[in-house]
Amino acid sequence: MEQPVGVEPSAVWPPRRMMPPILRGAFWAFIGFVLGDLATIAVDPFQGHPLVTEISALFGWAMAVIGWVLGVGAWEGVVLPLAGFSEPWAEPTDMRRYFQFSVDHKVIGIQYLVSSTATFFIAGGLAMAIRYELMQPYLHFFRYPDQYLTAVGIHGTLMMFSVATVALLGGLGNYFVPLMIGAKGTVFPRLSGIGHWLVPAGVATIILSPLLGYWTTGWRGYEPLASQDPGGIVFYYLGVFALTLSSLFVSLNLTVTIIFNRARGLTWARLPLFAWGMIAVSILNLIWLPEIQMTFVMGLLDRLVPMNLFNGVGNPLSYLSMFWLFGHPEVYIIVLPAFALWNEIIPVMAQKSLFARSGAIIGILFVMILSGLVWAHHMFTNMRYSEMFPFSFFTEMISIPTGFAFMAAIGTLWRARFRVSTPGLLILMSMFNFLIGGITGVFLADPPINLQVHDTFFVVAHFHYTIIGGMVFSWVAAMYYWLPKLSGRLYSEFWGKALAIVIFIGFNGAFSQMFLLGLHGMNRWVPAYPAYLQPMNYEVSLFAFLLGLGFLGHLIHISWAWRSGPRSPENPWHGRTLEWLTASPPPPHNFDGEVLVRRGFYLYDSDQPAGVVLPESTPDPAR
Amino acid sequence: MTEIVIFGLVWIALSLAADLGLSQIKSHTMYFIISRQGHLAEDAFNFLAAFLIPVAIFVALFLVYTLIRFRASNGDAVRSRQQTVQNKLFVTVWVALSFALNILFWLHPTAADLETMFRRDFLANNRHDLVVDVTARQWEWIFSLPQYHITQAVNRQGLDALTLPVGRRVEFVLRSYDPFHSYDVQAAVIHSFWVPAFGIKEDVVPGETRYEFVTPTRTASYATNPMVRVQCAEVCGPGHAWMEAPLSVVSGPAFDAWVKREQKRQQG
Ligand code: HEM
Ligand SMILES: [Cu+2]
Ligand SMILES: [Cu+2]
Repeated sequence: MEQPVGVEPSAVWPPRRMMPPILRGAFWAFIGFVLGDLATIAVDPFQGHPLVTEISALFGWAMAVIGWVLGVGAWEGVVLPLAGFSEPWAEPTDMRRYFQFSVDHKVIGIQYLVSSTATFFIAGGLAMAIRYELMQPYLHFFRYPDQYLTAVGIHGTLMMFSVATVALLGGLGNYFVPLMIGAKGTVFPRLSGIGHWLVPAGVATIILSPLLGYWTTGWRGYEPLASQDPGGIVFYYLGVFALTLSSLFVSLNLTVTIIFNRARGLTWARLPLFAWGMIAVSILNLIWLPEIQMTFVMGLLDRLVPMNLFNGVGNPLSYLSMFWLFGHPEVYIIVLPAFALWNEIIPVMAQKSLFARSGAIIGILFVMILSGLVWAHHMFTNMRYSEMFPFSFFTEMISIPTGFAFMAAIGTLWRARFRVSTPGLLILMSMFNFLIGGITGVFLADPPINLQVHDTFFVVAHFHYTIIGGMVFSWVAAMYYWLPKLSGRLYSEFWGKALAIVIFIGFNGAFSQMFLLGLHGMNRWVPAYPAYLQPMNYEVSLFAFLLGLGFLGHLIHISWAWRSGPRSPENPWHGRTLEWLTASPPPPHNFDGEVLVRRGFYLYDSDQPAGVVLPESTPDPAR
Repeated sequence: MTEIVIFGLVWIALSLAADLGLSQIKSHTMYFIISRQGHLAEDAFNFLAAFLIPVAIFVALFLVYTLIRFRASNGDAVRSRQQTVQNKLFVTVWVALSFALNILFWLHPTAADLETMFRRDFLANNRHDLVVDVTARQWEWIFSLPQYHITQAVNRQGLDALTLPVGRRVEFVLRSYDPFHSYDVQAAVIHSFWVPAFGIKEDVVPGETRYEFVTPTRTASYATNPMVRVQCAEVCGPGHAWMEAPLSVVSGPAFDAWVKREQKRQQG
């Protein structure tokens, strides 16, 4: 992964002997926490004189995050330049640059991928613990019920806010969007650079939340339970705040980059599908992440002041609506990139023109719009019948633009000669899984059915089918698809496919039975349940362990291939998007020249390439 | 053309077989349902399934079909002979069908069922209901039957339990507060009142009083089927999993006898 960079070795940062940035960040985070915490305790002492209270933890946390971000490099990379110091600053060119603040979108992309993969396995480990507990109908693994509920809450929160929302946008989005639009970089690289380092901060906050006490609300933080929960919930709010801020930064950067940094000839009508997915998701993030952040700020104040906003004196339902106003768009924030990936990868594997390309894009855009109109389908158990009409209407309607992604894919596959490579196979699997998720969503949209299966394992199965089945499978597919670009190396088709089949069986075996559990009366958030549900739960857990092993296998396989797989040809899939026009891995400024786009990327009716790299006319103004 | 015919025939055959299978199990799709509202849900489920199964089979079959008929014989990149980027007929049929299906679903079962529920729950239609006051506290369901002066219905072990007569409409009055809290009876959270065998679920929210109507259609009990229970469905703290109470649906005379027993127990 080493690349030559045109800087003198003496200008390489860090210039002096100093701590490695991550250690320095941790050090300043610690100092920040102690200072913020003690200062708060000094002005606002609490009865009994504890050294940490919920309020002092809040200020300590804020200082710790600032210390961390500055310590990993934002001090030299952002603050000093802003203050006018023209310190010669250049990133190291070896492995070290992955362990500090960076402004290279490819480095940032890989940092995001590594962070969200690590989090995926931490949260996945919790899932294994949850499934182990549920093999018996009584508490036998966890010691206390609130310990179990905390595990569920951390699992869900990490998976939603630091994996599902982050991996495709912060990871693949940061890495590939500039390449795919023929840009030499992003518009606000420092923003994404800071963004990444908020992920470890947020993840650590949530993992450490039990230090302040087990919290029991699950990933939705429902009020008024949250305001009477133990203190850990404070770190839930704060951790989510850091994580959503991270996605917000990336969204802003990618939106502006797609609008302003497209190569010559890359009109909107030619924009790659993946870039469409990214801009749609970014717009959703820009609208809805501030909304949930403000909601959580209110939740936090409600608890610390307290303000009685969301309990029986105020209105608990306001919190529910405010949560799902964000919560439903969030599910499309997760899955729209997957839709985009299907139709990005299928034409390449089939070497066949994308069918109804505008339909696929219109589908993405309409889902994006409609997703703001359906939130209350998560609250049918709180509504008058008359209020259910519009929400079930829009919810049922949203399956129409969703279907367009399928329509384009099916039209493309029809009478194709589809190469069933590992990414190709995983995309077909992802489509199957999402199909089940979407179809069961239509059942859920019908209020009488919903009133029965809401808050049961039926819903748990539904959203895992959409999220693991749709998004995670597509993510794995994309990792195999782009591995030659990321590393210049190939993986083993045998292991790739074998492991794809393992996760497919593990996933479907586990989650399909959860539909039945839900219909049979199994509710959510329970470490104990009536004994008649035990046999099926036992089986579900076995399949879940298989799924966990399968993901671990993919991790090992991909890591092996990344470092020591066989060398890949320049363009192994014969893809036509712009990232394939440059070396693998790409040089620091992506392209050795100026990119010109001549025709659409998804047209395979001739051998003419879609884009070319022209020799540079003017030297690149260094960013 | 042959491709379309083969695919179409397989699809129709599989869909018919699946729908036939569905019609065999349609009284068990929600396992065990013993209320009018629950049957509404189950019928809606079966209705939607009858249409959605062919849709699911269409796509799933297509994916399998791709693996068999449309796969490249080796890994070489060869441009497909066919390069269609648009097919007005296919797109029109797809869009029209998905609109038609969704509008159908919204009219029936959704709108039709909501009208039915609305009519049934209309106050004027609910004169002689059995009123059950349900209080949700952390973590207990408390049932009282004001018409029979029963303040807290319990079973022999002294645990909360409820018995209802079959065929008579019940009005549940749902509140969340804690009558046993030592200083703050309003310290309450959201619970959700769920009887799996009734197919009803309603959140119980602090500061609100809500009503839920249900008519049990046959006798059953927690002992005969564990879906006949009151279960909290919304996470409400560490005790959530254990916030359940057994339920029995019995004949009229048996209900009267139960009422007598409860009244006696209450007098000590
Ligand atoms: C065809 C499109 C879809 C429809 C009609 C649909 C419908 C629904 C409905 C009605 C619920 C509420 C269930 C309940 O709690 O009672 C629900 C829950 C949920 N859905 Fe979907 N959905 C669709 C697609 C998706 C997608 C694309 C995702 C994510 C990628 C998703 C993720 C979720 C999640 C996470 C929940 C539950 C969250 C919770 O309670 O913790 N859904 N869906
Ligand atoms: Cu939703
Ligand atoms: Cu509960």
